[in-house]
Amino acid sequence: MTIIDISFLNLALAYLMFVVPLAIMMWLRLPMISDTLIAMVRMTLQLLFVGFYLQVVFKLNSVLLTGLWLLIMIVIADLSIVRSCGLRLRAVAGGVFISLLIGTLTPLMFFVFFVFQDSAALGAQYVIPISGMILGNCLRADIVGMQTFYESLRRQEKTYIHTLAQGAGLMEALLPFVRKAFHAALAPTVAAMATIGLVALPGMMTGVILAGGDPMTAIKYQIAIMIAIFSGTALTVLLAIFLTTRGNIGIDGLLKQKIFADQK
Amino acid sequence: MNTLPLADKDPAIKAINIEKLELRAAGSTLFSNLSLTLEPGEKLLIKAPSGFGKSTLLRALLGFVPISAGSISIFGNELTSRSAWQLRSRMAYVDQEPDLGDDSVETVFSRPFSYKRNRHLQLNSRRITELMGQLGLPDSLRSKKITALSGGEKQRIALISALLLERDILLLDEPTSALDEETTFSVARLLRERKELTILAISHDPSLAGALDRTVDLRQRTRKPS
Repeated sequence: MTIIDISFLNLALAYLMFVVPLAIMMWLRLPMISDTLIAMVRMTLQLLFVGFYLQVVFKLNSVLLTGLWLLIMIVIADLSIVRSCGLRLRAVAGGVFISLLIGTLTPLMFFVFFVFQDSAALGAQYVIPISGMILGNCLRADIVGMQTFYESLRRQEKTYIHTLAQGAGLMEALLPFVRKAFHAALAPTVAAMATIGLVALPGMMTGVILAGGDPMTAIKYQIAIMIAIFSGTALTVLLAIFLTTRGNIGIDGLLKQKIFADQK
Repeated sequence: MNTLPLADKDPAIKAINIEKLELRAAGSTLFSNLSLTLEPGEKLLIKAPSGFGKSTLLRALLGFVPISAGSISIFGNELTSRSAWQLRSRMAYVDQEPDLGDDSVETVFSRPFSYKRNRHLQLNSRRITELMGQLGLPDSLRSKKITALSGGEKQRIALISALLLERDILLLDEPTSALDEETTFSVARLLRERKELTILAISHDPSLAGALDRTVDLRQRTRKPS
């Protein structure tokens, strides 16, 4: 089985499907048509760029180039997380970067050396999609986790101070907030694992099937990637919280308000 | 978080010694030149108009507000951001509108006993019942969620939680603002009975003021920025 290619002309026809949501928006007079059009253009340009770049990366199949691609993706994810959480770049970007690096590389390496048990899996064809899926989920989980952690620490400062005043150590006082953030960040992945295959066919499985793979192979890939995503997100959320608290909590135990982008 | 020497074995040591203290908030000086001492077991009420910095003073005593000038010593140990961790275990603090989370009353009482620094303390269930009774709270309240409690009940729960820790110093920020006169009297009696306990309280309540040893007007003890 080979995959049917889509010509650029045929792809242009796919854009016709945009007419339906755009028509609904016009009918409802929603002020999101320009945003949608910008998003559509961005999606096209970004994916075309990635497509051309990946063609080169796959052709050269160099570990260095693949690593560079991964590094760039991590930096972009890092910046996106910091901005989405309303935190100051200088205060947290370093911690988030390390957390993403470890959170993505650890399950990726596990995947390559224990699941595939084949060094060929270090090639761009495997590393890029697998790390991309793990990183994408780490990004989402980090945003939820970090936002929940810092916002609740800010909102419930009184409870936090009360805990410290009662003699709690730093870790003891932070733990309820870490627990809450970790739960919020991981709950969507747990829910996704519980309904996978029933509600929607997951991306990786669809990819393998479209590429002509056996559905059972597709399922095995999907199970492995789900576990990799779950462990990656767990690792990155916990590391992101702990690494960013370093330097942003004073010797007195209080959170420095300058961590928030809206604080002068 | 080093272990501090027990300087308070010396009878000349003050429970709280504030010298020429200046506190700032949001970039401006709240007050300066405050000097105040509390002997062990002394019970002091401080008063000043709203916004003067009374609550900030209590938070500064716990090491949560940086000292811009002067010094604070707790039982002879100078309070710094570093020493605050240990000195906090000599003090208990009751906030004006205590935010005790959303767990049950029982959890609020037991949680501080799980902290490493409080492990030498034993939670005494009978003592909880006794204190609750003295402050007019039924024992059945212990299984209730904090969120289901009234403001006055929360204040009393916070006070009991502070007393259970058996600290040397009790810092109270308007601890009876949501209580009726009768309950305020019960609180005053309870505090009065604790001869060893040093208390620094902020209150506008005359019933509570009567139970304390003396009152200090911060306006007469400090320099306010013009």
